[in-house]
Amino acid sequence: MENEIPLPPPPRRRKSHRPSRFDDRSSQPSSDPALFSSDDIPASSLENYHAPAHGNTGRKRRYRGTWWGETVLNPKRKRKDFKDKRFVDSGVWMGSDESLVESLLPSEDAPISEDFFKNVRNSNPGVPKKEPEEVDAAPFAPAAPGPESVLGMDRGPISRPQPQVVAQPRVAFRRVVESQEHQLARAIVNDCLEKGQDSVDLSIGNMREIPSGLLRPLQHLTKLPAIREPPVTEDVYSSLEPFLRLFLAGNSLFKLSSELFDLSSLKVLSLRNNKLTEIPPAIRRLTSLQDVNLSVNRLQYLPWDFLWLIRKGDLKHLIVRPNPLMQIDEAEIAHWHYPNTTTPESLEESLRLQEYDSPVPEEAWAPIHIATGPIRHFNTDGYPIPEAQLNATSSTELKSNVPSLREVSLVSLNKSNFFDLTPDSDIADLPELMLRLLRYAREVRAAGGRCCSICHRGFVLPRTEWIEWWDCSTYENGLKGPRASGEKLRPLPFKRLGCSWGCVPDMKSVEITHLPDEAASE
Amino acid sequence: MSSTAQTQEYVTLVSGDGFEFVVPRSTACVSGTIRRMLDPSSNFSEAITGRCVLETLSGVVLEKVCEYFCYNQKNKEQANVPDMDIPPELCLELLMAADYLDT
Repeated sequence: MENEIPLPPPPRRRKSHRPSRFDDRSSQPSSDPALFSSDDIPASSLENYHAPAHGNTGRKRRYRGTWWGETVLNPKRKRKDFKDKRFVDSGVWMGSDESLVESLLPSEDAPISEDFFKNVRNSNPGVPKKEPEEVDAAPFAPAAPGPESVLGMDRGPISRPQPQVVAQPRVAFRRVVESQEHQLARAIVNDCLEKGQDSVDLSIGNMREIPSGLLRPLQHLTKLPAIREPPVTEDVYSSLEPFLRLFLAGNSLFKLSSELFDLSSLKVLSLRNNKLTEIPPAIRRLTSLQDVNLSVNRLQYLPWDFLWLIRKGDLKHLIVRPNPLMQIDEAEIAHWHYPNTTTPESLEESLRLQEYDSPVPEEAWAPIHIATGPIRHFNTDGYPIPEAQLNATSSTELKSNVPSLREVSLVSLNKSNFFDLTPDSDIADLPELMLRLLRYAREVRAAGGRCCSICHRGFVLPRTEWIEWWDCSTYENGLKGPRASGEKLRPLPFKRLGCSWGCVPDMKSVEITHLPDEAASE
Repeated sequence: MSSTAQTQEYVTLVSGDGFEFVVPRSTACVSGTIRRMLDPSSNFSEAITGRCVLETLSGVVLEKVCEYFCYNQKNKEQANVPDMDIPPELCLELLMAADYLDT
């Protein structure tokens, strides 16, 4: 009602009988009482002239409206309204909060109704609502101005913002709570970094995966100097280069992340008692590795790269058993290398080191290539090709070293930061065939990449795969001594991957030599 | 007509937006799909005219695909194959094209 501007009083008219255009209104009171600006307000009457105005002493009264119909604004009510308004719209805008509301916010003077908000909510059914988080974030988040606050302040006491307004679908702050094990692991790593301890014990942590960023700081670990007291003798000088040891034993790790393989100074790695089914070929990057423990896992084979580490790296102790490794007497063998016969008469007899007298031959120390399994070929999609179909393909195709177009694309995808920038939801719309390849490429990337065991090219999809059997018993017992004369050989399966159909072992030329292709390639 | 098709040395690959690439037949046959299209015994119109319209590929992608065909053809017999550079923004489309062309 206050909004209605009262009509000015009809002009006083002299008593005259002259007909005027106001004649039809002349039936209303013909004369108006004298009108003063404050007449209709009781406090302003003469009796109350000196009395303080009720409740707001010394406060200047303010008026609103025209001089003939002015009203006093109630300052008390105004303040209350103001407070409520402040609560609704804090005026603080969080720039990082990419809310839908932001884009849908009407300008202040646009008419807005409850229907509008309902429409907004209904039009976004795909966005999941996170009620509890919303409530959490509400004090910090910009609440949309409710319909009330936009519509005006003179509507009486403003109701609290309704939950439907606050619960607009939007990306709320999602606080990722890290599991206790991961927090503990991070604390241990930080402690080691601070104290300069080069033996990092993360065993029995019940970790199911290695959280990202956990191991990266260990690259920069430095030992603290041992000299504290003044008497400095020559003995206290020691290298500050860490002898980095990482114990991840007794966790529940299913796979290893590429971060582990960036610790190029790692000397000792224990993965004992985990749930690993495969060791990524990227283990090759740990070139200073000396001691590896892989026992009590679910490994059926080892990556070929362990042999490379033995040969080219520092690896001296490789503990593999027990694991559900493939057994040579049950496996299919395409070519025998060690007993120097194509088909050994009896496996038991042939898998023995040849008798030797002193001096100890080199063969008694080095790994021995026992046999090679059949080669499996894969097509460009990554599916194995049956033997019959393979015989039909032309020989030039079988010898080609050229990567497929899929392979070329996937390799450059893995080189770029596509997978870092693209969330899973964006990939999910792609066709199923591509999706499979992309997921595969991402896994390969997460495991630290691969490189062909023949030509050393980085690749994603293997085109060939075979198992080689090598006896590494001297390395299994930590190079404590050579194999005894006539000792039984216990070969380990090593899986080799080739990046193209041309990358296959040359069966003819690898008769009884020690790591022939490796020696040639380096 | 079909006798001339068999002797054709070059074939034309046409992209969805109208770009044409004339490449040697053996080069185009790196792709399994195109090889089957151009198979003279199939009597497909592509085999007769020597012109393959690849509606799903854009000109930019088809250009890169042709580059790959040549790269494949050139390095077929070599032991050390150089890497082929692919701009990252084309990777996904090329992957899709590779799926379609079966290479």
